[in-house]
Amino acid sequence: MHLLGKKGIIIIGLLPALLFYILFAIYPIIQSFYYSFMQWDGFSEMTFVGLDNFKELFQDSLFWNSVKNNIYVVIASVLGQIPIALLIALLLNRKLKGVRFFRTIGFLPVVLSTVVISLTWSLMYNSKNGMINQLLQSIGLRELAQNWLGDPQWAMIAVLVTVIWQFVGLYLIIFLAALQNVPDEVIEAAKMDGASEWATTWKITIPMIWDTIIVAIILCISGSLKTFDLIYVMTNGGPSHSTDVMALYMFQETFSQLNYGYGSAVSVFIFFFSLILIFIVTKVLGKKMI
Amino acid sequence: MKKLLSLTVGLFFMFIAACSGGEEASGNGGIELTLWNDWTEDRPENTVYKDIIKQFNEEHEDITIKMESIPHDQYETKLRTQAAGKQLPDMMRVWPGARTAPLAEGGVLLPLNSIVDNWKDIIPDEILQDYAINGNYYAIPSNISETSLIFYHKDKLKEAGYEQFPSTYEELKKLIGMLNDNKETPISLGNKSVWPLQSIYISTIADRYTGSDFLGNVLSKEETFENDQFINALTVIKELTEIQAFNEDMNTIDEAQARSEFINGTTAMHLAGSWAIGPILEGVDDPDSIGVAAFPSFAGGEGDPSKIAGVAGGGIALNSELNDEEKEAAFTFLKYFYAEDLYQQLAQANIIVPADIPMDDDVPRLFQKANRFAQNGLAPVYDATLTPDLTDMINNGLQSITLDEKTPEALAKEMQALLEEGN
Repeated sequence: MHLLGKKGIIIIGLLPALLFYILFAIYPIIQSFYYSFMQWDGFSEMTFVGLDNFKELFQDSLFWNSVKNNIYVVIASVLGQIPIALLIALLLNRKLKGVRFFRTIGFLPVVLSTVVISLTWSLMYNSKNGMINQLLQSIGLRELAQNWLGDPQWAMIAVLVTVIWQFVGLYLIIFLAALQNVPDEVIEAAKMDGASEWATTWKITIPMIWDTIIVAIILCISGSLKTFDLIYVMTNGGPSHSTDVMALYMFQETFSQLNYGYGSAVSVFIFFFSLILIFIVTKVLGKKMI
Repeated sequence: MKKLLSLTVGLFFMFIAACSGGEEASGNGGIELTLWNDWTEDRPENTVYKDIIKQFNEEHEDITIKMESIPHDQYETKLRTQAAGKQLPDMMRVWPGARTAPLAEGGVLLPLNSIVDNWKDIIPDEILQDYAINGNYYAIPSNISETSLIFYHKDKLKEAGYEQFPSTYEELKKLIGMLNDNKETPISLGNKSVWPLQSIYISTIADRYTGSDFLGNVLSKEETFENDQFINALTVIKELTEIQAFNEDMNTIDEAQARSEFINGTTAMHLAGSWAIGPILEGVDDPDSIGVAAFPSFAGGEGDPSKIAGVAGGGIALNSELNDEEKEAAFTFLKYFYAEDLYQQLAQANIIVPADIPMDDDVPRLFQKANRFAQNGLAPVYDATLTPDLTDMINNGLQSITLDEKTPEALAKEMQALLEEGN
């Protein structure tokens, strides 16, 4: 038993997982860095082009358009998903009747396949016979009806609503779990001191789950930066690039247009962009996360 | 402890071995060839292909063809990704021209020059040429894909006062106006996936304006996209959108959805390729209620108005890394597969075939008519001719034109700029 010592056992235990992690996560990232300096169509010889891919990238208005749209996704997720989830979690934490029922309903979108969600929402948004426009018509608000996914002005907003709806449940569950760990004694003590509900929520409950909120925000940001599948199915970046996001742009450049080098440059950009954004958020919110 | 260590290491190596050793031949002495295809849909032609392969497997004891079917929308992405990783199967379905060129130029496909003479008498040379890249042949087409046909409900046209389909663009615009007055959606279009306006519409419309040599001349820099006739062609799309020829949700539904709208009778016309013949004939109650027409002529156009855009359909290409024995087996298969039997059966499944074969009277009239269009010569199809990035640009550009976010002139200019920057 003393042959290897405790550390040895830990290393052996970690080894398989670590090897797979290096092979399937770290190595491809390094490879992307390498490809981003190349001009390569996937089959023929690679040629080294230095920073040309990045120079092109920074001048590419379609790419900046996708960055802009991606920032919308981040903002909508952080400002939409988190507050809504927190609000519902606080409500559900008040020992309501049917908490489990509401919890299940809230969590349902998270377990549904994204493709199912996207197709269902596309049907709802359809301008001719979609549920939303028909509802507006039936209550006499015909002029509010829009070609939701077909109009570049509305498409991004329509997609964002779906994005928010899809992930509220996830953060709801995370917040509910955190709220259940807030000790009752603290809340009771506050009440005995005459604190109002409002004060207890803001001064006690929220600070006690602040760590969880930050984790949720970071999950939310990194999730939004790699958002792909929902938009791919709902609009495929269209109409006329109005819902393009970075990952989608990278996918199309790489696999439809066979610019592996350029596509890799986009991935490298996403990598650093996420890293910097998360770094800033942790600094601003004043917590050490990494 | 030692035991634990050796167990971990042992398990680990077993895992590695399991990961890497999956490709061993399955034995029984014969040669096994993997064939990738996109025959996932339950359509008559797919059944024909699969049946012939089954028959081949039964007749040849020493060769087994193993099929892997991948849905069409993901198929080409998968093929390109796997090609980049040098993981292509032994045989794979490919499409002609620019869609095969990157694979062929990358050296991952095997030239079929040594056996191509086998088909010289059956298939016209110009169709075989669609798979020729730098003088090498890479696949044999099983069908011809006409990309620009107009399907229409005869009764709806009659209501609008038309017994015959209009033969000029001016007349077509009038018809669209009449249909709109009748509160009928004129044309169902599903352009969410952005290729239909380019492949179906522009391929033929632009040919009517510019003539069939235009695209080749542009690519060889003798001509530019900023040609007035090409801009005229792009302007047609703008005009059609402005006179409300299309369903308003055209940019949010896909091609198949647009087709079912037409089949269900919610629109008067639908523009699609020959791939829609089968589904439409099958979908409607009375096949004779549907008419098919070629695109009308455009005043001032320099092209031949009897032509229709079309290109050889899918074919099977071989992996360049096959060894001699596998190569022989694959050649035997190709000769067996692309034979008269296949073309006969395909024609019965309403597929337009390159081989000239006799047809009897029970073949639907719609199909006979569509089949005749091909005889006037084929105009180039844009996405089969342009490079992937140009195709992407015109696809999205046409969508922007329908949304009034881009002018035809601006699109032509951008395309020319991309072409010049490309090399």
